[in-house]
Amino acid sequence: MRVVIAEDLALLRDGLSRLLEAHGFEVAAAVGDPDALAEALLDDTVDVAVVDVRMPPTHTNEGLRAAIEARRRRPGMPVLVLSQFVEQLYARELLESGDGGIGYLLKDRVADVGEFVDAVRRVADGGTALDPKVVTSLLAHAGHKPPMARLSPREREVLELMAQGRSNAAIAAALVVTEKAVGKHSTSIFAKLDLPPDNDDNRRVLAVLAYLQAADDATT
Amino acid sequence: MVVAGGIGAAATLVWVATGGPFWPRWVWFAAALVIAAQVALRRALRTPAGRRRWFAVHVAVAAVLVLAEIAIWALSGGGLFWPAGIVLVLAATLSGHAWLLERPPGRRERELRARIERLTRTRSGALDAQALELRRIERDLHDGAQARLVSLGMTLGLAEGLLRTDPDAAAELLAEARAGTKAALADLRSVMQSVHPPVLADRGLPGAVQALALDLALPVDVRVDLPGTAPPAIESAVYFAVAEALANVVKHAAAGRAAVELSHRDGRLVAVVTDDGVGGAALGRGTGLPGVARRLEAFDGIIEVTSPPGGPTSIRLEVPCELSSPRTSPSSATA
Repeated sequence: MRVVIAEDLALLRDGLSRLLEAHGFEVAAAVGDPDALAEALLDDTVDVAVVDVRMPPTHTNEGLRAAIEARRRRPGMPVLVLSQFVEQLYARELLESGDGGIGYLLKDRVADVGEFVDAVRRVADGGTALDPKVVTSLLAHAGHKPPMARLSPREREVLELMAQGRSNAAIAAALVVTEKAVGKHSTSIFAKLDLPPDNDDNRRVLAVLAYLQAADDATT
Repeated sequence: MVVAGGIGAAATLVWVATGGPFWPRWVWFAAALVIAAQVALRRALRTPAGRRRWFAVHVAVAAVLVLAEIAIWALSGGGLFWPAGIVLVLAATLSGHAWLLERPPGRRERELRARIERLTRTRSGALDAQALELRRIERDLHDGAQARLVSLGMTLGLAEGLLRTDPDAAAELLAEARAGTKAALADLRSVMQSVHPPVLADRGLPGAVQALALDLALPVDVRVDLPGTAPPAIESAVYFAVAEALANVVKHAAAGRAAVELSHRDGRLVAVVTDDGVGGAALGRGTGLPGVARRLEAFDGIIEVTSPPGGPTSIRLEVPCELSSPRTSPSSATA
């Protein structure tokens, strides 16, 4: 799997390269600014880009803009955005840039090497990886929608993990239950939230995220 | 002074040699006059610049003139005390000047004085707030991230020591250390957020308020009508004010929804935060609003709370400021 790394701090750039190479990725390019990133992404054999939000010249959100731009040029181009802080606003913008192949994680998550590498693979395969912090605030924000109150605590847990982008198998492993039990929960969640059932992991994640993000007309 | 004394002494010697009436007294008089004028003016100019210095100069000049007149009168043999008229005239101009200096202030001057008092008060308020803020940041860093890094170093040291003898215990310590880095990062993040939220730097006030609204557990309607960007310090003050107002909505109002409106009218940036909650909010009551008000005061901003019992509550902030470089067109969104 070929990966492009964009991170302006050399220390972290090298760390990420080392970490991903140790887990079987091939680092196609490791760059430090948005222009070099755009150039590196012209190579169509790249499977995924790992991009820091903050990059020169203004050190604000160039990385985010570069990621969205890259996906405009090559729709569905898998991009995992890393940041020192997460904002729901940015998560929404990334999710709006096309279906799937998007990740948005706190930099801290890199320390859980196994999970981080999983997230990179998932995004490269067209999946989603949303930071638990974004998901928590997404759920808090959507919590006032009446259907949400009908979910059982366990179903809420499943929903939370699903919104992070995990497959049924991964949710089963995280909650230490069988995959079949997760399947049952997710069917029930979809019924309660009035969403059409879907067997595809990625599409299910996107449906849940769309539901959580939808403007809240139900309250007035 | 030495030169004047020298000239006087030389004149006196010439008089001793030539004799006649004691004419060098006029030379001495001129020398003393120059010295007196110099001393008086120097003293007067020590007064701080401004109207009071001019008055001091006036007094000095008048005093030297009076002394000179009296000296001339005495040196020329006395007789009718003619300097009296000049002394009276000088006294009259001096008292006129003194009256000008001390007369009751006019309307404009009273306004200016009130403004100066206000500026002095808000300036020292702003500096106090800033000093407290720096102190808080220092304490947060010290008690949070720094303490965690120290403990991290110790854990890693322990793990290093156990690596060969007890690999299992070492692995446990390493896992603990990794958790420690996360906690340290979370601490640092919250400090950074409290100093200057990154999203404010990224997206300015409209984006930052939208991000704020998205993170709340109730629906917040955000309407922005700003044809440009406010200065960074004002954006920051207004952002924290809106954040505080929204935090109060969540904590106290029991509201179903809230709204934030940002606009710019008549040279003032206006932010209005409303909610449909129970009302009864006040500037002083256990909220962070007084701090917000102090911070806004430094920019001549004001805050108005309208919150009848039973609601609804409306908090209005106004800060005079000019907007620069037009941003994108007005936007509106429901979070």
